[in-house]
Amino acid sequence: MIRLTYTVISALVIGFIVLPLVLIVWMSFFSNQILSFPPEGYTLDWYARAWSMSAFRNGFFTSLQTSLCASVLALVLGIPASLALVRGEFPGREAITTLLMTPMLVPAIVGGSALFVFYLEVELHSGLQIAGTMAGLIIAHALIALPWVVKLVTTALIGSNRSVEEAAASLGAPAHVVFFRITVPMIWPGVVAGALFAFVNSFIDLEKSLFLVGPDRTTLQIALINYLEWNFDPTIGAVATAQIAFVTVLLLLTSRYVKLHRAF
Amino acid sequence: MSYTSGFPGAAGTATRRRLPSFRGAGPVLPAVVFVLLGMVAPLALMLRTSFDRFDPQVLIVSAFTAENYIRFVSDPFFRDVLGRTVAISAVATAICLVLGLPVAYFLARFPSAEAKSRLLLLILVPLLIGNAVRTSAWMLILNDHGVLAALLRGVGITGALGLMYSATGVTIALVSVLLPFMIITLNSVFEGIERSLEDAAESLGAGHLTVMSRVVLPLALPGILAGCVLCFTLSMNAYATPVLIGGPKFHMMAPTVYQQITEAMNWPFGAALAFVLMGMTLLLTLGLSVAVQRRYRRWTA
Repeated sequence: MIRLTYTVISALVIGFIVLPLVLIVWMSFFSNQILSFPPEGYTLDWYARAWSMSAFRNGFFTSLQTSLCASVLALVLGIPASLALVRGEFPGREAITTLLMTPMLVPAIVGGSALFVFYLEVELHSGLQIAGTMAGLIIAHALIALPWVVKLVTTALIGSNRSVEEAAASLGAPAHVVFFRITVPMIWPGVVAGALFAFVNSFIDLEKSLFLVGPDRTTLQIALINYLEWNFDPTIGAVATAQIAFVTVLLLLTSRYVKLHRAF
Repeated sequence: MSYTSGFPGAAGTATRRRLPSFRGAGPVLPAVVFVLLGMVAPLALMLRTSFDRFDPQVLIVSAFTAENYIRFVSDPFFRDVLGRTVAISAVATAICLVLGLPVAYFLARFPSAEAKSRLLLLILVPLLIGNAVRTSAWMLILNDHGVLAALLRGVGITGALGLMYSATGVTIALVSVLLPFMIITLNSVFEGIERSLEDAAESLGAGHLTVMSRVVLPLALPGILAGCVLCFTLSMNAYATPVLIGGPKFHMMAPTVYQQITEAMNWPFGAALAFVLMGMTLLLTLGLSVAVQRRYRRWTA
C-alpha cells in the first residue's frame, strides 16, 4: 500500500516534468497553423521551415561555436587549476576552489548584466569593443563552463589512486610519461564529463547571453525567445525537438563516463 | 594533504621527484585571474554603479548617492515586483518540496539500481534542455487553445482557462522547471541515510509516517534546506518563465533588471535592482537556514 502510493505519486510528478517535452515533440509534427490542440493533420514542413529561417540556423551555429570555444577555454583553464588544487600544497586551496565555483552561484541575470556594464566601461576607457562581439560572448560562456570543469575534474582527481602513479615512477617512468600514461587516463572520465557538462550548460544558457548578444549575433536560446514574442506556430516545436534530441544525445554520452546525478 | 601508499615509505624521495608535481599554485593562476576579471571585477563595478546617478542625456554621472536604492524602496511599483517575485518563489519552492520529497525518497529506496539510474536520467535530462524550450512547452499546455483546455473540453469543462499571463500559470511552469533540482538534491541526501535506522524504528512498531517524520526527515533536514535554497534562488532569478508565461504585463525581478539595463539604459538603477535581488535572496535563504538549524539542534540534542 505504501509502495503503491509512492509509485503513483512518483509517476505523476515525473510525468509533470517530462510530459511537456513529449508534447512539444509531438506537436512539432502537427499541421496546425498555430500551436493548438488537437492536431488537424501531420507534416514535416515545420522542420524545413525552421531550417530555412536564418534566425534559427545562424542561432544554432553561433551557439555551437560559442559553446565549443567556451568549453575549450574552460578546459584549458580548469584542468591545470584542478590538478594544482587537488595535488598542490599551497595555502588557500579551499578558498580558491570556492572562488572558481562562484560563477555557478551568482545568478546568471546578475552576472550577465555586470559583465555587460563592465564590457562597456572597458570600451569607454580603452576603445576596445567587447560587448556584442564573439569574444565577449565566449568569455561569458567560459565563465558558465569553468565551474563544471573544475567540479568534475577535481572529483575525478580526488577519486584517483595515487599509488599507481608512484608505482610507475618507481619503475623509472619520467614525470611526463607518468602524467600522460597514468594520470590522464585515470581522470579521463572526469575530463570528458566536465567538457560535456560545460558544453551543454553553455549551449542552453539564456539569461547570461541576453545582455551580450549583438544585433546580428544571437544564440539559439535568444532566437527562440525572440521568435516566441510575436509567433506561436509549430516552428518552435521543431527547433525545441532538435534541441531536445541534441542535448539528450550529449547527456547519454556523458552518462557513459559519470553518473549524471553525481555531477550536481 | 598527504597521501598514503600501500607501503609506508615505499615512495622514496627519488621516486617522488619523478612524480608529476603540481605542488605550486602556478597552474591555478590563469583560472583565478579569469574569474577575478570576468566575475569579481564586473560585480564590484556594478556595485559601484548602483551608487551613481542616471542622466537621460549622458546616461551615467559619477556620484555617491543612495538615491537608486531609495527610489526602489519608495516606488510602490518596484516594491510590488519584489513582493511578487518573493511570493511566487516561496510558493513554487514549497510545492517543489512537497512534490519532490516522495519522489526522491522513492528513488533512493528503489530496489533495482539499473532501473533507478534510468529514472534519474529521465529527471535529469529535462533539467539540461534549457529554460527557453521547457517554458515554451508549458505555453502549449497552458494557453486557451492548448492541451489542458482540450483535455478539459473533453470532460465537458469549457471556457477560457486564464492560466497564461497569470501568477498561477507562472507558478505551475516554474515548479515543473525547478522540480528536478529539488529531486536530485533530496535523492542524494536520502541515499546517505542508512536504511537500518528505518528498519529499527519499524521493528519497534512505528508506522511509515512516524518513521518519516521522526527519523528520516529530521536526518534529511540539512539536505531539504539545501534543496529549498537552490529552488528559491533559481526561481527568484527566473527570466524565461515570467517573460513567456507571464507576458509583458507580468513583472518579476529578473526581467525588470534586464529591461532597466538594456532598454531604459538606466544602469545605476538596474544595478541597484540586481543587488536588491541578490541581497533579498541571500537574506531570506540565510534566515531560513538559521531558523532550520535552530530547530535541528533541538531535534538532535
